[in-house]
Formats: sequence, structure tokens, C-alpha cells
Amino acid sequence: MADKRYGMLFDSNRCIGCQSCSVACRAENKVPDDVYRLQVRIDGPKGEYPQLVMDFERHSCVMCEKAPCVPVCPTGASYMNKDGVNMVDSKKCVGCKYCINACPYQARFINPVTGAADKCTFCYENRVQKGEKPACVSICPTGALVFGDVNDSKSEIRLALQQYTVKPKEHLGTHPKLSIIPNKRGGGQ
Amino acid sequence: MDQLWGPMAQYTTVQWEWPVALYLFLAGLSAGAFIAALLVKWRDSSDGRYDGLVKAGALLAPVAIMLGQGLLIIDLSKPLSFWLLMLHYQLQSVMSIGVILLMIYSGLSTLFAAIVYKEWLADCELTEWFFKPLFPIIEWFENRGAWFEWVMCLVAIAIAVYTGFLLSSLGAKPLLNVPLLPFLFLISGMSAGVGASIALGATMFNESVQVRNLQYLLSLDTKLLPIELFVLFVMFTGLVNMGGQYAVVAKQALTTGIWANIFWIGVVGVGLVLPIIVSLTSLHGLNVSASNTASLTAGGTNSYETQQAMPMGILLLNCTLVMLGSALLRLYIVYAGQLFI
Repeated sequence: MADKRYGMLFDSNRCIGCQSCSVACRAENKVPDDVYRLQVRIDGPKGEYPQLVMDFERHSCVMCEKAPCVPVCPTGASYMNKDGVNMVDSKKCVGCKYCINACPYQARFINPVTGAADKCTFCYENRVQKGEKPACVSICPTGALVFGDVNDSKSEIRLALQQYTVKPKEHLGTHPKLSIIPNKRGGGQ
Repeated sequence: MDQLWGPMAQYTTVQWEWPVALYLFLAGLSAGAFIAALLVKWRDSSDGRYDGLVKAGALLAPVAIMLGQGLLIIDLSKPLSFWLLMLHYQLQSVMSIGVILLMIYSGLSTLFAAIVYKEWLADCELTEWFFKPLFPIIEWFENRGAWFEWVMCLVAIAIAVYTGFLLSSLGAKPLLNVPLLPFLFLISGMSAGVGASIALGATMFNESVQVRNLQYLLSLDTKLLPIELFVLFVMFTGLVNMGGQYAVVAKQALTTGIWANIFWIGVVGVGLVLPIIVSLTSLHGLNVSASNTASLTAGGTNSYETQQAMPMGILLLNCTLVMLGSALLRLYIVYAGQLFI
């Protein structure tokens, strides 16, 4: 069987900004206090009553196919695994912060406990490898997140990606595997 | 901590702070001093007797690069794992290429210092015991001649240039992602290295510094500074012409906040324009007029005497300004490059 290509879809129309995903991520991945692998930022309410808009923005690693963080790493600690998930080998990482500066999505940070660069892993080692979905996807109460193998034509994500989607900072040519359905709600349309 | 989604400190943290900027400065200075020493050595090959400026450059090169590498290691978030950089190599990473270059360069600059100071090292009681057995090896390298010195010169240039590529390879940072940055760092590093060599040569090795060599380096510095100004001009106009985020960031970096002040007052004013003025009015001009009058009145016989009267205070001030400007340039590029994105 061919290698997988894991991807994620964030439907910002379904997101309600409840922060469950962020809390689940922290609990699942034991993310230290004050640093985040995932944030859902709320922009708004904006506009004029009653035409109000609230935008929800997922902020995490977007799993670039052409990831700027990988070639800059001087030790090979930053790499893409066989299933297309960008990972950090914290034992190989020396903490030079080159990858953090190379990331156009500001998805990386220094883990204050390990001293290594850290980021979203799609819960690859702790959940996805066991056949589970990432913690954020499992917990989302509104189904705003879809996860799966985009190489599998029968997967839920392939079906979901038939909708209109955009890629974050697409012009950079990084080919993210996180897609977004932009917000159409609010504003009185 | 107001927002529902938590603090955003990690997204605004400047990852590379002053130790990295200082390293970039020291690496440039080291390479510049090495090149300056070689340039003077090539001008007059007085057998075995080195000009004070060669001695100064030969000493500065290894010391500055060692200090710089120390700063780099301290700046790692896992400093004790620095050896992993020498175990795993990734040739597509500028930093990894830099590690290789730094190891070669550290060896070559130490070797060059050993060549220049070989007699002193062989006589000194502290170093005699380990240096004596190495003496034939040092002499073997010393007798390799010009091609080996060219290799050393090229590696020094590579060190100054790589520090620019290290930053310019960052596509996510528009102010750093400019093709001219390696060239800017080479010019700036050269001028800092030349300035440091003059300052150290004129103070510590004054008795063996020949005035014509001093003037040669001084005039080299006076030429490098306008080139650096021009490169900065081309770099920023280029950024503006590139449009999009590049133009936005370039305008922000030149007009907003403390970093714009550091650029205009520190880098351009104190570091480039002022030393050009000092050099042209107090050092360069003085010598020309002094030797002119001397040749008119006494047939040029006492021109040597008047030239030696080059004001030491102003000479050191000029060198200090040049080095300060070079250091502030790295500080500005490192901080503004990370803050304006």
C-alpha cells in the first residue's frame, strides 16, 4: 500500500471559537504552559449591527509539502515523515531556532521543557499511528475539522475537499496540507 | 492574556537576539581582519618580518571567530548539544554549510596566526613545549606560498558571505530575503576588520607598522564605506521595487520605531557618513597636504616625518566608528528583519 498523505480541512463556517481543540491539544500532547501548538483566534465581531461578522482563524502548523523549515535545519532534526507529516526529532534538535524563523506561518516555538523546537504533529505518534484522529479533530463539537489521507479517494477528507477551499498563504508556494473553507457567514449576505 | 485563545508571546518573540547579531559582526570582523592581513602581506613580502598590521590581523582573526562561535553556542536553546551540529550534516542548510566553513576557517586562521607569531611562540616559555614539535608543520604551511594564502583568503571571504546567506535564505522574512545581503555583509565585515586591524596595529604593534601600509588600509576603508552606503541604497530601493510585502516591510523598517532611528543615526550616520567625513578631513586630506607642502619646501625629504604625525586619537576614533557602524548594522538587520514581517 502506498504511503499516506495526511491532510486536514478547517471549515471556518462551522467553528464557534469554543477552544475545545486547543485544550484537547494541550492535554493530549502535554504542551507546557504559555506555549501553543494550536490557537483558534477570533476576529470580531466586526461590521455594523445587524450585519456583524466573526471570523475564526486556526493557527497551527499547516504541514507544507514544500516545508521551509525542513531544508534550513542543520542537523536533520526537522523532517517530513513517510506519511507527509512534518516532525521534529527533539533529540537531534540543538535549538538553533533557524526553523522557527524560516516558518512563514509562525507555527513553531521552543519547548521550554525539552529546549527543542516544537509544533503541531497532527498527533501523529500518539494517535494517528493507532488509527485515531488528531485530538483537535476528535473533540470538535461542530465538525469544523476533517482529517484523513488525501491519497485515499474514498476518504472523508477527499469528499470534503470537493468544496471551495483555500490554502493559507498559498502564494508562497509551500503547498500546505491544511485547507480552509473561508467564512461566508454573517455580514448580512 | 486578554484573549480567549491565550497569550501570543510566542508569536512575537524575537528568536535571534543580540548574541547572534554580535556573532555576525565578529565573524565579519574576523574575516575582514584576515583579508586585511593578507593584503598587507602581499604588498610587501619582507621575509619573516611582518608588518604590525599583519600581526594585528593575524591575531584578530582567530580570537574574534572563537568568541563569535562561543556566542553562537550560548544562543542555542540546547547549548550542550552543539556537538550534534558536527555529527549530522545537511548540505541544503546554510547553517550546516556554515559549521563546515567555520571549522576550516578556525583551523586556517589559527594556523596563520601561528605562522606570523612562530618565533614568539617558540620562544615563549608557556607555549614552547607544545609549539616546538609543531614548528616543522607550521613552516611547511608557511612555505606553500601564494596559492595557500589565496585559499585562506577565499575561505575568509566565504565566512563573511555565508553570514549573509544564513539570513537571506529565510523566505519568511522579507527584509532578510534579499540577494544583496551576503555582499553587504562582506563589505561591512571587511571595513570592520580593516578598522580593527588599524586600531590594534597602531596601538599594540606600533613600532613595526609601516606608514605606507597603514595608509593603504586606511584608504581601503575610505573606499569600502561609500560602497556600503551604495549597497544599502540599492538594497532598500530594490525591496521597494519588489512590491508587496517586501515594499511594506522595507518602508516600516526605515521609518518606524527605534530600529529606524538606529538605522539612520547609528548605521548610516555614526557608522558610515561620520567616518567618511573624519577620514577625508582629518586623516586622508592631512597626509596629502602635508606631503605636498613637504615636497614643495624641502624636496620631499621630510614627508615621512610629517606623515608619521597622523593624529592617533582621530585614527582610533575613525576605526571605532567604523566598527560600531558594522556592529549596529548586524544588530539592525537581525532585529528589524525579525520584527518587520
